[in-house]
Amino acid sequence: MTNSPSKERSPLLAMRDVRKVYGGVAALDNVSFDVDTGEIVGLLGDNGAGKSTLVNVMSGVIVPDSGSISWQGQPVSMRNRTDSADLGIETIFQDSALVGSMSVTRNIFMGREITGRFGFMKQRAMREASAETLRGVVAIRGVKSPEQLVSKLSGGQRQAVAIARAVYYKRKLLILDEPTSALAARATAALFDYIGALREQGLSSVLVTHDLYDAYKICDRFVVMGRGQVVMSARRDEVGLDDLFKFVSRG
Amino acid sequence: MTSGQERLLIEEGTEAADDKSAGDAEVSSTERVKWFSLIARLSPERRYRVSQSALDFAVLFVVIQVASIVAGVIWPNSFAYTNGANVLTALEAIPLLGITAIGVGVLMIAGEFDLSVGANFIFASIVMAMLANQGWPVFVAALVALAIGCGIGLLNGLITLWFRIPSLITTLGTTGIWTAATLYVHGAASQTFNVSGAFATLTSGSIGDFPAEMFWMIGLGVFAWAFLQRHRIGNHVFAVGGNARSANATGISVRKAKLIAFGFAGTMAAFAGVLAAARVSTITPGGETDLPLQVIGACVIGGTALMGGSGTVLGMALGAALLYWIEDVLLLLGAPGFYLDAFVGGLIIVAAALYAVTKQRRAS
Repeated sequence: MTNSPSKERSPLLAMRDVRKVYGGVAALDNVSFDVDTGEIVGLLGDNGAGKSTLVNVMSGVIVPDSGSISWQGQPVSMRNRTDSADLGIETIFQDSALVGSMSVTRNIFMGREITGRFGFMKQRAMREASAETLRGVVAIRGVKSPEQLVSKLSGGQRQAVAIARAVYYKRKLLILDEPTSALAARATAALFDYIGALREQGLSSVLVTHDLYDAYKICDRFVVMGRGQVVMSARRDEVGLDDLFKFVSRG
Repeated sequence: MTSGQERLLIEEGTEAADDKSAGDAEVSSTERVKWFSLIARLSPERRYRVSQSALDFAVLFVVIQVASIVAGVIWPNSFAYTNGANVLTALEAIPLLGITAIGVGVLMIAGEFDLSVGANFIFASIVMAMLANQGWPVFVAALVALAIGCGIGLLNGLITLWFRIPSLITTLGTTGIWTAATLYVHGAASQTFNVSGAFATLTSGSIGDFPAEMFWMIGLGVFAWAFLQRHRIGNHVFAVGGNARSANATGISVRKAKLIAFGFAGTMAAFAGVLAAARVSTITPGGETDLPLQVIGACVIGGTALMGGSGTVLGMALGAALLYWIEDVLLLLGAPGFYLDAFVGGLIIVAAALYAVTKQRRAS
């Protein structure tokens, strides 16, 4: 079992000795965490293990007390979600940051509209781009038109739209915080298939999940956290599903 | 299966029904509903693009108007709907309500309210009349009125956003402030405002039987539509009203979008005030107290979401026209005008209750 990624090139995201203390309790106790390009990392652990704090540090929502973060080999500091988005990190929370009363197209381009003169939107360009983005996304099969309102979509379809949006903006790292917690089994499988397919395009993902069975199929590496520390980090070929269950339950 | 997927499947089912040949004897209930709804008859691609309920509402509006006109022709004495004076009054009055409603409606889409539009309407127009009577060029005085309206709106926005207080409370407070300001700068007496020349033609002239106000409402409506549906910032207005947190997460400035909507609502209220002053030549301090309730009612009738995120300009304008129609019919039938206030008040409560109930249903 090893925590060090390949030596030849620097990892996409490298966090070293990251520490965050809340009221005397270390939510993150000198955590080191790497994500390689084109890698899906399963971030596991019980409630209160520190997963959410780590995710929030990665997305710039929480600034750590100490430790360093580097992105593609360069040291970086992230103070908010815009900073992380500028680097190419997209965090998809359960509410997936979509507006239900707007169409899929308008959601994909929300805040980043394609505009022409005087800030007027290029409707056709946006429609075509969103149709193109949605094409071939199995997890959103059933979305009949990119002009459909997001409020009419199922939970899995919404997650897929949020991911498709991140793909459209050429994000390099997706952080998915419990993406399947509200989904039915079939939707979960479809969503994980989609995330797996994106790896082929060089996209990295951090998958925070309780869904070990499904996550085991697509993750390249697993990091188990407990009480603010990394208790285990292993590639899939080094660890079996049974061992993972043990580590997660032991914390 | 989640309810969303079920809904999708149901929609797919009706889609299949669409493709059935016309010779099919059996007509399903969904098809009958579809026959009634204009939007549903469009192609699916187009259907999603058409503004939610405006078109269906327009159909309802036309039906009501035709019925009223028929009734007016049959009973010209007891129901003088088609009487020339009645029609003219309607064409002059609807735009004042409609222009204010479009401003407030845009703000409602952004998820905020403005109760101070009535006080704004009076204050802006009375300052304009005072300046014009002091010898200011009337066009400049009118621009000052619009600037005041915009300023009142922006101030509502700044207070609301800066202190994070509900805009209903902010604008309830500023209503008092600007009503008092009117009395402070002018006093309680009515202010006269006589217009002539180009200004009179532009504000209170007419083309045929159509008064200038009607054209202003259409022009401003097209402007508001282009802003909301075609402009980047208009898209942000929908986003912040629909889900401010999500909008913020994608980098939209929630404050900027809302502030622009606040400014727009204030400007439109002052614009209506200018047109009203030019038409009737007098401004009464303390008037227009039921305007805020009426324009919110007009927006709600026209399908604007009470809690923000959706609405159409066509719906707002038609909502204003429908509200005036109710007032007019009550008047023609000899019923007291205050019935309208009760109707509008009840309507807003019903709309809010419906929203709350559907939200609870969805949550459970």
